[in-house]
Amino acid sequence: MSRKTTSSVVGLHLAIVLALLGLQLVLPPFHHTMVARIMVLAAYASGYNLLLGYTGLMSLGHSMFFASGMYGTGLTVYYLGFQAPEALVAGLLASVLVSVAIGLIGLRTTGVSFLIVTMMFSQAFYLATLYFNEITLGDQGFVLSGRLSPLEVGRLRLAFADPTVKYNVALAVFSACFLLSLWLTRSPIGRVLVALRENEERTRLLGYNTFAYKLLALVVSGTMSGAAGSTYTLLFSYVGSSFASTLFSIYPLLWTLLGGVGTTIGPLVGTSLMTYIVDVASGLTSSYLMAVGAVLVGLVLWFPAGVVGGIRTRWASWLP
Amino acid sequence: MSPLLETAALSKRFGGLQAVQGVDFRLEQGEIRAIIGPNGAGKTTLVSLISGRLSPTSGRVLFKGRDITTLRAWDRVALGIVYTFQITSIFKSLSVFENVALAAQRRLMTSLRKRIGLRHSTLVERVDAALVKVGLLEVREQPAGALPYGHQRLLEVAMALALRPEVLALDEPTQGLAPEEIAALCQLIRRIASTGTILLVEHNVPVVLDLATKVTVMDKGAILAEGTPGEIEAHPDVQKAYLGL
Repeated sequence: MSRKTTSSVVGLHLAIVLALLGLQLVLPPFHHTMVARIMVLAAYASGYNLLLGYTGLMSLGHSMFFASGMYGTGLTVYYLGFQAPEALVAGLLASVLVSVAIGLIGLRTTGVSFLIVTMMFSQAFYLATLYFNEITLGDQGFVLSGRLSPLEVGRLRLAFADPTVKYNVALAVFSACFLLSLWLTRSPIGRVLVALRENEERTRLLGYNTFAYKLLALVVSGTMSGAAGSTYTLLFSYVGSSFASTLFSIYPLLWTLLGGVGTTIGPLVGTSLMTYIVDVASGLTSSYLMAVGAVLVGLVLWFPAGVVGGIRTRWASWLP
Repeated sequence: MSPLLETAALSKRFGGLQAVQGVDFRLEQGEIRAIIGPNGAGKTTLVSLISGRLSPTSGRVLFKGRDITTLRAWDRVALGIVYTFQITSIFKSLSVFENVALAAQRRLMTSLRKRIGLRHSTLVERVDAALVKVGLLEVREQPAGALPYGHQRLLEVAMALALRPEVLALDEPTQGLAPEEIAALCQLIRRIASTGTILLVEHNVPVVLDLATKVTVMDKGAILAEGTPGEIEAHPDVQKAYLGL
C-alpha cells in the first residue's frame, strides 16, 4: 500500500465525517432525526461488518450485543439513577462481558454452527428479557424521558431531547466506530483478521493464535454494537425487548450486505439506503416490504458485493 | 549436546490406522534432512506432529532440549519451527506483498505496542528481502492467486523465510514443478540451509540424493533406515521397500 493510497483513504473517511457534520445545517427537521438514527444504526452495522466482512464470521445474534448496551444503560438509568456518562460506561461494560462470554463458548464452532450458536444464545437472551418482565418491562419496554438531566460541558447545557445534541452525539459515536474500523482493518491486526477469513489453518501455521484473534474481533464487534445500543437508548429514550429479537440481528446483516460486506464505508451506505427505501416505500404503499424485497433481488443480481463492494470491483480497487 | 530437534517414541493413531509408531528421530543443526518413503509411510504425519499441526497420541517432541509436545502450532512458529504445505496454501485473494507481510509481521509483533502500530517501513524491508530471495519482487502487488503455479510455490517459500525459521519443514516442495523450476528451487533450498536447518519431505529421488546431507526412510509409520544419500542408495531394505530396485 503506497503513501498516496493511504492519504486518499484517510482523506475520504474524514471527508465523510465532515460531510455528515455539515449536513445538519441543511437538513429539514424530520430528516435531521432520521439521519441521527441512521448514524447510530450504522455504528451497529460497522461493528457487525468487522466480524462478518473482515473476520469471516457470520453471526445471527448481534441483537444480543446491541441489547446488552441498551439494557446496561437503560436499567442503570431507570433503577439506579445513573446519568448519561456512567450509563454509557455501564452499557459498554455489559456488552463487553456478554461478548467475551459468548466468544469463549461460541467460537469453538465455525461456519453454520457459529451462526446457529449465536442465534440460540441471542434467542435465550431475548426470552430472558421477556421472562424477567418485572424488571425489564418486557416487550412493552420503558422510557427514560425526564430521568436524564442535561449534560453540562463548561457553560453549555446539552439536553438529549434537543435535535442538535441528538445529531452530534450520534455523529460522535458513529465516527468513533467508523474510524476505529478503518484503523483496525489497516493495522497488522486487521491483516491477521482478513487472513483468518481467507484460510484459518494457514493463519495458524503462520504463528497466530487464531482463537485469540477471533475473540478479539468478536469483542470489538460486540462492543461497537453495544455502544450503538447504549447511544440509541440515551438519544431515543426507549428500552424494549424488540431490540433483542432475531429480526434485529438480521438487520445489520442486511445493511452490511446492501452497502458492501468487508468495506469500511458499506455499513453507512447500506443503513442509509435501507432506511430511506423503507421510508419512501411506506409512504406510497402499506406493503413496503415488497419494495425492500425488490431492492434485495436487484442487489443480488447486479451488485452481489453490495454497493460499495461493487464500486470497488468496478472502479476503485483502492477502497478499504 | 542435545540435537536441535528430537522426537521420543512419537506415535499418532487415526482411528484404526497407526500412521506413525514409536518414532525416535533426531535432527542436528544445519542439516538438510530428507524424509522419503512410499505413500502412506507417515512422512507428512511425522512432520505435522513436529510442527504442531497435529498432536501425538503418545510420545514427545523436543526442541533444543525443551519439551514442546503440548505447545500449540502458533507457539512453535514463534520458536522458529515453520511448516510449508504440501498443497499450495497461500492467500489467493490477497496480494503477494500482503501474503509475505502476514508472515513477516509475526516476527515483528513481539509486544502489544508493536501489535497495534508497526512501522510500515520495517515491514516493507522484511517483505522485500524475502521476495528478493525467491525472485518475486517484481510481482509484489499482484494478487497471489494470479501467479503461475511455480511462482505460488516460491511465494510459499518466501512466506516461510519471512518467519525466519530455525527449522524449515518443506512438504513436497517440488511437486508439480517443471524441471528448470526444480533446479532453481534446489539452489534456493541450499542457500536457505547455509543459515538454517531443513526438513524435506520429498518423492523426487534425484532431488533428495542431490540435496540432502542425510536421509531418513520411513515405511508403515516407522523409520526403516537412516544415513547419507550414498548409504541409503546401497541399503538392501530400502531398495526392496521403496526404490523398487
